Amino acid sequence: MTALRDAPAPLLEVTSLDVVLGHGWRAHRVLSGVDLAIWPGQIVGLVGETGSGKTTLARAIVGLVKPRAGHIAVAGTDVSRLGRRALRAHRRAGHVQLVFQDPLRSLDPDLTVAGIVAEGLVIRGGRPAAEIRSRVVAALSQVGLDEALLSRTPGQISGGQRQRVSIARALAVVPRLLICDEPVSALDASNRNYVLRLLDELRTSLGLPIVIISHDLSSLAGIADRVAVMYRGEIVEDGPASQVFTAPAHPYTQRLIASAPSLSKPRLSRRDRKDQ
Amino acid sequence: MPPDPVLTIDDLRVTVHHGAAEAVRGVSLSVAPGEIVGLVGESGSGKTLTCRAALGVVPAGCDISGGSVSFLGEDLGCLSGKEWERLHGSGIGAVFQDPASYLNPVLTVGSQLTEALRVKKRLSRRAARERAIELMGAVGLREPARVYHQIPAELSGGMLQRVMIAIAISGDPRLLIADEATSALDVTIQAEILTLLLRLRDERGLAVLFVSHDLAVIRELCDSVAVFYAGEIVESGPVDEIIARPRHPYTQGLLRVASAGDLGRRALEVIPGQPPAVGAPIAGCRFADRCPVAADACRAGEIASSEIRAGHTVRCIRAHDAELVAS
Repeated sequence: MTALRDAPAPLLEVTSLDVVLGHGWRAHRVLSGVDLAIWPGQIVGLVGETGSGKTTLARAIVGLVKPRAGHIAVAGTDVSRLGRRALRAHRRAGHVQLVFQDPLRSLDPDLTVAGIVAEGLVIRGGRPAAEIRSRVVAALSQVGLDEALLSRTPGQISGGQRQRVSIARALAVVPRLLICDEPVSALDASNRNYVLRLLDELRTSLGLPIVIISHDLSSLAGIADRVAVMYRGEIVEDGPASQVFTAPAHPYTQRLIASAPSLSKPRLSRRDRKDQ
Repeated sequence: MPPDPVLTIDDLRVTVHHGAAEAVRGVSLSVAPGEIVGLVGESGSGKTLTCRAALGVVPAGCDISGGSVSFLGEDLGCLSGKEWERLHGSGIGAVFQDPASYLNPVLTVGSQLTEALRVKKRLSRRAARERAIELMGAVGLREPARVYHQIPAELSGGMLQRVMIAIAISGDPRLLIADEATSALDVTIQAEILTLLLRLRDERGLAVLFVSHDLAVIRELCDSVAVFYAGEIVESGPVDEIIARPRHPYTQGLLRVASAGDLGRRALEVIPGQPPAVGAPIAGCRFADRCPVAADACRAGEIASSEIRAGHTVRCIRAHDAELVAS
C-alpha cells in the first residue's frame, strides 16, 4: 500500500469535482467536491447506494459527462479542459475503459465475440485485419477464454463468459485505467469470485489500475486495496480496505457494514428488529 | 403436531421448450404457516420455475409435466382461470426482483394499490383508499398519504419494492412468494426489506417462499432452505443446520464462495466447471462432473434423497462419509 502511494504520480487525479446534471429548474448537483487519486497497480473499490454518484463519477472520468467545476487528470492530461474534438480523440484513444454490470445489455447481441472485442481497435483505425485478430485473441486469452468462442454471439455463451468478454473488449485497446461498474452484481457467487480473481490477476500482471464500483461491500473485500465510500455525491470515507471494513469512521459506512448479509454475524431475526 | 402446510409441492416436474427438456426434475417441498423457506441455487437451477408453477404462471413453452402443487390442501393443477384469479387475490401474493417493471409508470402508486384492493377485497373507492394508505404505512413507507400521490419514477427502488409488497399483501394472502425480491436493492435497503418480511411473518403469520442466489441473505431471513442444482433439490433442512453442517458437496461449494460477511481479505474460491445444460441427459448425480469427491458409483444411476437427520435431507450417496463431513 505505502509503496503504491509513494509511486511518483497518480494515474488518475480527480480534484474538487462538481457535476450538475439537467438544466434550469431541473438542475441537480450529482457530485460535489469529489477528490480521488488512483495509482498504477491499485484496485480501488467505490461503494455507495443507488444515486450516490458512483456511475456519474465514472462517466465523468471517461469524458461522457462535462463537470461544472474541478479537474480530472488522466495520465497528466486534464480531461475536463479538453475541447470537443480533443475530448473525442481522448475517448477514442481508449485510455480509460468501462465495463458494465449487465453484459447482456452492454454487448451487441448481433455481433460475434470477435466483432465485439475488435470494435475498439476497428474504430481507432489504421490496423491491418490480421493484427486486430491477433490482438483480439490475445485479449481473450488474458481473460481465460478460448479462441473457439470467437464466432459465438453473446446469447450463445454463459453469463460469466459474457462478463469476461466485456473485460476482454476493454483490454483489447490497452487501457491505462479500467473502471468496472457493478461488474459482478449480475453473477452468481462462483462466477463473481472468478471475475474478481481475474481482475486481481490483471492488476498484478499488467500493473493496470482498476476501479470497481459496487453497492456491495463484500464483493470488494477479497481484492480492493483501497475503498472510497460515496454518499449523496460526496466521498465520505477513503482509506485502506482493511481499515474501512474493520474500523469505519463515517456513520454511513458503519451502516453499510452493519447491513451486509452475513453467514457468521447474528441473524436479523435475532438482532434488535426495528423498521427504519 | 405441526400445522398443516400452506403450500405443498410434490415431485413437481416442469419442461421447457415445449417439452424438449426437463428444467425442474421432481421437486418436493412444503411451507408451513408463518414459516420462511428459502430456495437457493445458481441461475437456471429451477428455483424461479418452481415458484412460477406454484403461482400458476409458468412462462410460454413451459409445461408442468408431473407432480402436484397444493395450496391449503387444494390441488392447484386443475384450477380454472377464474379460480386462479381468486387465489391470486387472496391466497398467494408475489413480489419479484424489479418492482419498476410491474407498476404502471403513469399512474400514482396509491391508485394502483387502491385498484388492487377494489378487485381483491371488493372495497368501495373510499374504503380502498383508506386501506391503501394504512397498508403503505404498514410496509414502512413514511408519509403514506404523500407517497400515495406519487408515480413510480418519483420513488426509490426500496420504496417501490415496499409498494409491491403492499400490493402483494393487500388481499391478506396466506403465502408470499418473493423471487429475488431484494437482489436489486442496496444492502442497507435490502436489510430493511428483510426486516419488513420478518415483521409481516410475525404479525400476520404470513408464510414466505423466498428465492435468492445469496446464501447469506437466505440465512438472515429463512427458517429452512432448499438448495437447487440443475433442476433438483440437492439438500434441504433448517437453515442453521445446513450452514453449519452442509453435507452435499455443492452446498459446501456454495458456502465456500458465498459472501461470508467477514470483510477481511480472503481467497476468492470458485466452484470449477459449469452446471449442465437444462435437461442434459445425465446418468446419476448431476453435480458429479464438478464434484471434488465424485466416485464411479455417483454416475451409476439416479441418486435418491435421504434424510440424514430430522428434517435434513441430502441427495448424495456419500452424505454419510466422514471425509465429506470434514471438508
